[in-house]
Amino acid sequence: MLRRHKESASASDSTFYQLRADCAHNVPDTKFKIKIGKTLSVRKWHAAFTHHGSLHIASVLNRIQSGGVHPAIRGEVWEFLLGCFDPESTFDDRDHIRQARRIQYARWKEQCKHMDPHVGSGKIITAPIITEDGVPINDPLVLLEATAADQQPGSTTTTSNADESSSSSSSSANHRLTDKHTIEWKLTLHQIGLDVLRTDRSMLFYEKKENLSKLWDILAVYAWIDKEVGYCQGMSDLCSPMIVLLNDEADAFWCFERLMRRLRGNFRCTQQSVGVENQLQHLASIIQVLDPKLHDHLERLGGGDYLFAFRMFMVLFRRELSFGDSLYLWEMMWALEYDPDMFSTYEESGPATDRSAQGYKPRVKSTRQFGKYERANMKSATNGVDGPVPISVFLVASVLKENSQKLLQEARGLDDIIRILNNVNGNLDAKKACAGALKLHAKYLRKMQGKKA
Amino acid sequence: MAHRVDNEYDYLFKIVLIGDSGVGKSNILSRFTRNEFCLESKSTIGVEFATRTLQVEGKTIKAQIWDTAGQERYRAITSAYYRGAVGALLVYDITKKLSFENINRWLSELRNHADSNIVIMMVGNKSDLNHLRSVQEEEGQALAEKEGLSFLETSALEALNVEKAFQTILSDIHQIISKKALAAQEAAGSGPPTQGTTINVADSSGNMKKGCCST
Repeated sequence: MLRRHKESASASDSTFYQLRADCAHNVPDTKFKIKIGKTLSVRKWHAAFTHHGSLHIASVLNRIQSGGVHPAIRGEVWEFLLGCFDPESTFDDRDHIRQARRIQYARWKEQCKHMDPHVGSGKIITAPIITEDGVPINDPLVLLEATAADQQPGSTTTTSNADESSSSSSSSANHRLTDKHTIEWKLTLHQIGLDVLRTDRSMLFYEKKENLSKLWDILAVYAWIDKEVGYCQGMSDLCSPMIVLLNDEADAFWCFERLMRRLRGNFRCTQQSVGVENQLQHLASIIQVLDPKLHDHLERLGGGDYLFAFRMFMVLFRRELSFGDSLYLWEMMWALEYDPDMFSTYEESGPATDRSAQGYKPRVKSTRQFGKYERANMKSATNGVDGPVPISVFLVASVLKENSQKLLQEARGLDDIIRILNNVNGNLDAKKACAGALKLHAKYLRKMQGKKA
Repeated sequence: MAHRVDNEYDYLFKIVLIGDSGVGKSNILSRFTRNEFCLESKSTIGVEFATRTLQVEGKTIKAQIWDTAGQERYRAITSAYYRGAVGALLVYDITKKLSFENINRWLSELRNHADSNIVIMMVGNKSDLNHLRSVQEEEGQALAEKEGLSFLETSALEALNVEKAFQTILSDIHQIISKKALAAQEAAGSGPPTQGTTINVADSSGNMKKGCCST
């Protein structure tokens, strides 16, 4: 199994996600504590498997909903929560799938490496390697810049230097590329590099160069296989925990790929809009229904587009909370949204597709195998064409509603809204926030059904 | 954009920070609003905001600064960025030639999407990295002159010229607005505006709220 930490069960999670000594003061405190009898423990987790390996998911979900996951088993548990595996599969089934996925990842990585030899080399690119019309950039000035990035404060990573680039340019030749996808992919590589060097750098984990290049490689491969989304700023924040939790690069990739099934819609951009605006609109209509006064107030202050919640949806509170607390919030949301058919629907639709908007199929499974939030949605069968509204929308809505009085009384401008929400979000308790989201969701469903009737 | 009348400040100016990814926009902002610089700074997701209230030419000005992600695809929410903006700080990195070459792109983006009266200042950041410089100060100066922009080199790390850059752009905006207000008064031909009179300063929306009750 993929266990990397052997600390005792009573440890606070700061033992797991260690910070650099010089950074400890400027990151949010972690509030998550491992609670005996509530948090899914190592022992409980192992006890939830049958002899052959099928997982009793209902008991696991209950535990996670009441106290999160012990950091020592987070990676393994997340693989199930995110739908990498069917809970009813056996140990053998999963070994088989894991091997096949690792081979698949290696194959994709090899393709990428063929297009750009920096992939898998341990190096990270931070300056463009190609122009928009597909002409390779290898003039000495740019190469010099790329090396220069190495000397900037805080940066510890090797970037491409003249030697390598000249050798790579000889293999890929100086001819102009014409394939649109290849050009687009190459154009994102330096952006990924710029962001990897700025992701979770307060953690000791990323002092190791190989972890930084893992992050770069995974994002580069993902950008290649998801041609519609590619790479978009924010994705490095979502991918980083996978690398911290799962030792094997391919396993981390697949967890990230599963997470992106839920979230890639947010990152999909057209000329006029960013996908997340869809969720902002959901948020607006929920607040409009449940707290019209607040909605009017926000609108008056210039916040009617709810852009102030943009980042909350894009990186799911990673910027507001400590590393450990955001993982705690994520797993709680996923447990509430859990759908045991996730695995099979994902497998059917193939990688880099959305979480499915195909509505509900008749299910033979017991409802106990579903998360609470998912159950409420099934009962009311209120899903739009885009599929269910994610719980994160109700979570943000409940944060707004809880602070309605404060916002109405104290906010006199957009900046006040942001200041108030930043304070609140920094102290967000995952469990309470999720409970609030569920309550608001139930209320919203009642209202909507009342309207229909 | 609507602003309620408030005694805390005379004007509210919305400024956008734009420029290539990694040139230091967020650190310029944190230096200006909180006097902080973060070596472990993170990428900006979409749009983030901060404000600072300061004195400019005897007026209390509240600067509402929108920090934007450098990645091009986030420009899809452009209309929201530029709505009501009266100033733009266009930032490049003096050690990254390409970020300077891209200034023209950013200018055309501003011309296409922002109010035509927007005040633009060009900023060459990271002047502390002089040994890695790839854009000479004169080049920056020349381009700024050609495009009719004000220009400064800054170092958010060393807190050099950041304050000055904002002071400059804010006072430029203030001067333009004062002139317009005066012209508006003269055009109305009836002396100073009375309570409840709305003065439209920019073509887009009311950013000026002194002595008026813009909605």
